Amino acid sequence: MFSTGEIIIQQIVNGLILGCFYALISLGYTMVYGIVRLLNFAHGDIYMVGAFAGFFVFGALAAVTGTGWLSIILAMIAAMFLCGVLGFLIQRFAYRPLLDAPRLSLLITAIGVSLILQNAVMILTNGEFKFFNHSVNPRAGITFGNLTITWIQIVLLGITAILLISLTWFVTKTIWGKAMRAISMDRPTCRLMGINVNTIIGITFFIGSALAAVAGVMACVYYGNVHYFMGYIMGMKAFTAAVIGGIGSIPGAMLGGLLLGLLEAGGTQVLGSSWKDVFAFGILILMLIFKPTGLLGKTEVERM
Amino acid sequence: MENNNLNKINNGEVAVAQEDTRKRGFFTRIIDGFYNFMDKTYNKVIVYGILIAFVLTLPLWASNYILQVAWNAMFYMLLGLGCNIIVGFTGMIDLGFAAKFAVGAYTSGILVHTFGWNFWLTLPIVVLVGMLAAVLIGGPALRLRSDYLAIVTLGFGEIVRIVARNLEITGSASGLSGIKRPYIFGVQLTRIWMWYYLFIVLVIIFVIASNRVKDSRFGRGLAYVREDEDAARAMGVNVVKYKMWAFIVGTVMGAVAGAFYVMQMAAVSPNSFQFTQSSNILLSVVLGGMGKVPGVMAGAAFFSIFPEIFREIGEYRMLFFGIALVLVMIFRPQGLWPDRRRR
Amino acid sequence: MALMEVKDLTMLFGGITAVNHLDFEVAEGSITALIGPNGAGKTATFNCLTGFYVPTSGEILFEGESLVNVPPHKITDRGIIRTFQNVRLFNNLTVMDNVMSGCHSISKKFVGSALLRTPSERREEAEIKRIAEEALDYIGILDLKDEIAKNLPYGTQRRVEWARAIASKPKLLLLDEPAAGLNRQEKGELVELINRFRDELGMTVFLIEHDMGMVMKVAEKIIVINFGTKISEGTPKEVQDDPLVVEAYLGKEEEEEAV
Repeated sequence: MFSTGEIIIQQIVNGLILGCFYALISLGYTMVYGIVRLLNFAHGDIYMVGAFAGFFVFGALAAVTGTGWLSIILAMIAAMFLCGVLGFLIQRFAYRPLLDAPRLSLLITAIGVSLILQNAVMILTNGEFKFFNHSVNPRAGITFGNLTITWIQIVLLGITAILLISLTWFVTKTIWGKAMRAISMDRPTCRLMGINVNTIIGITFFIGSALAAVAGVMACVYYGNVHYFMGYIMGMKAFTAAVIGGIGSIPGAMLGGLLLGLLEAGGTQVLGSSWKDVFAFGILILMLIFKPTGLLGKTEVERM
Repeated sequence: MENNNLNKINNGEVAVAQEDTRKRGFFTRIIDGFYNFMDKTYNKVIVYGILIAFVLTLPLWASNYILQVAWNAMFYMLLGLGCNIIVGFTGMIDLGFAAKFAVGAYTSGILVHTFGWNFWLTLPIVVLVGMLAAVLIGGPALRLRSDYLAIVTLGFGEIVRIVARNLEITGSASGLSGIKRPYIFGVQLTRIWMWYYLFIVLVIIFVIASNRVKDSRFGRGLAYVREDEDAARAMGVNVVKYKMWAFIVGTVMGAVAGAFYVMQMAAVSPNSFQFTQSSNILLSVVLGGMGKVPGVMAGAAFFSIFPEIFREIGEYRMLFFGIALVLVMIFRPQGLWPDRRRR
Repeated sequence: MALMEVKDLTMLFGGITAVNHLDFEVAEGSITALIGPNGAGKTATFNCLTGFYVPTSGEILFEGESLVNVPPHKITDRGIIRTFQNVRLFNNLTVMDNVMSGCHSISKKFVGSALLRTPSERREEAEIKRIAEEALDYIGILDLKDEIAKNLPYGTQRRVEWARAIASKPKLLLLDEPAAGLNRQEKGELVELINRFRDELGMTVFLIEHDMGMVMKVAEKIIVINFGTKISEGTPKEVQDDPLVVEAYLGKEEEEEAV
């Protein structure tokens, strides 16, 4: 049987994988919140759309490039692009007109967009589960005793690591990244300084959505199926992760995502899976009560 | 004191801000016409008379199905009015209002079903539990910014639902059922038309409560908080205290509505409290026009009847709904119910 | 004893010293002004006085009692009312509702009396209404009482703010750049009103202001600050002649003279 050490390592790996999903999706939440102070309810559904985009592209490519990693990666890139554009368009037409309106209006619009995405996909897919038939062996991997870390898991971890590092580089070293951070601090001044605020906001949505798409395609590979409702609970959890790490903080989202993944894996082991959602929300509430700015968030000073 | 500008305004030479008149589009002009029509007492009496007669005699000529729909609409109105205190009057964001009616429903349901209490005696307990819940959720959360409050209420909504789904005392996933209906004046409330009238009474009570709040110093304070928290503070309004009490009143209203709901349905399950529910309630308040009591009621009625009316469109209806939502927010964010024009 | 005493007031924001060991007094029944160039620390001082900021150190005494750490909503109970530089009215409410907010601390009626609609609640509401109408009449805008605040022209909105401020007949009226955005005629009316507040309603007035011309006409005592520190204090004439003040405003003199 499994030794305790093996169980712990297994759960850590599971937790990290889960954490990758959360981190990738929560980045979208946090970046958007940071730049326009919107809790984008529709973001979880972008993840879902990404998964479906990946699914359809993969299906189309299967005849040409087979059903292995090549097709998966190509599908992922296509999904990233498609979702990025989708995120950009949503922002352009549904959110941008409301940037200076009361928060509640933006929230409601986001709910509306979420409904549109979910139902559009539901209609297109007849509400069915779709199965992602790739030819990569889900059990192949590196084995230590009773424990296996599968290649799929390694690839997913690797892709996530690459993306997180790239994003960090982008935000800290490039001019667009700096503009993003500036806008999240003081939008009107940025406008006055000649920064094209609208373009940067558009880029932010693009990137956030693209990352969610990566998570979506990863879900296809890892879980093997997609369904129009999958964005809902995943979205809420990733959102929780963003808040835990400190909403508005990019490193916070990464940290929060990984942390939540690990906590949830651990919690499931201890409490059983029916309580795991409560676990996540419970942490969320405690976080908000004791440290609402999250682990890495900055306290905002409001000037009169 | 010379007041040239003022005289000019009063003489109509200078218009008091063009925005007001320009935004009165076609739809609003219709409603203006309606209000003008209603200004004459004679007309008012006739219209209200017809409405009241219609509402009161409905069970005589309508089928049970229609009565059920009407009852459902009234239930949503109760929830909407409760949520209105928090969101419409005070301007807070509550994404988990369903949890409040869950609390009331389960409290009453458990006390009656598992412990054999008389329903009417559970009501004070429901009020107390509602207040407790409001203080627990609101206590720490209300000091947070509006976005954070939104998240906390959302989280609590989910927690309540999942806890209800997992605990045995709440009947786990299938909830409670077969709850005995209560008696009033010796008659057991088993027929839908009885509940129909009972809920009319409840709606009236809730409307009176809402109006009383609105026209009081407390209600004005809530409006000040909604409009500008800092200015409210500067005028002596203890913002946190007012928010807390708005939250308490709204929660208690939701809980009480939940208690009555469970008795009519004779059952309760966690499926009734999903996020979609909370979102519908919120939407009826926002779309109906924040704070406007008749607007909120109309919104609530719409949301409960909407699935019925649009059943034929079937799967497209939520899609259209989402599109409508986005359009309304962009083009008419103050809600669909028009403002009373200054008379 | 002066009505309000500010002693060694200091306000630090991270590395920035907004207010630097500021000392001054406001005598009862006076009209005192705090002026200084942009960024001098006037607003920070003001926010400390009104409870919106908690000073890093120092003391503020009103009628001998400390105002430090008193939250804004309790400051009104002491008899102090403030206005805002950018006219923060309750935009979607009527003028009447706005001015009634000025009387908010007169009554203490809350949820219970609201729901039960007790006779005393009704009485106090009627009283607040009466007082608000009085204030509106005093300022001269009683006929606008049912207008929605956001629909009014800027100058009129300012008047509503004044009505709101004086409604409860506070002991100390704190005005935050009251002349901002007003034209010459409106500024003249403001000077007249401030004098009436003091002469007819017995209020002490303290204002911060950027418009030198207007301040010279209305204030009896002026305190000048720059970079958070007091650089001069005295009557308008004394302050005008003070070379330190001239230096602080160097270059801005010509603009101010135009008023």
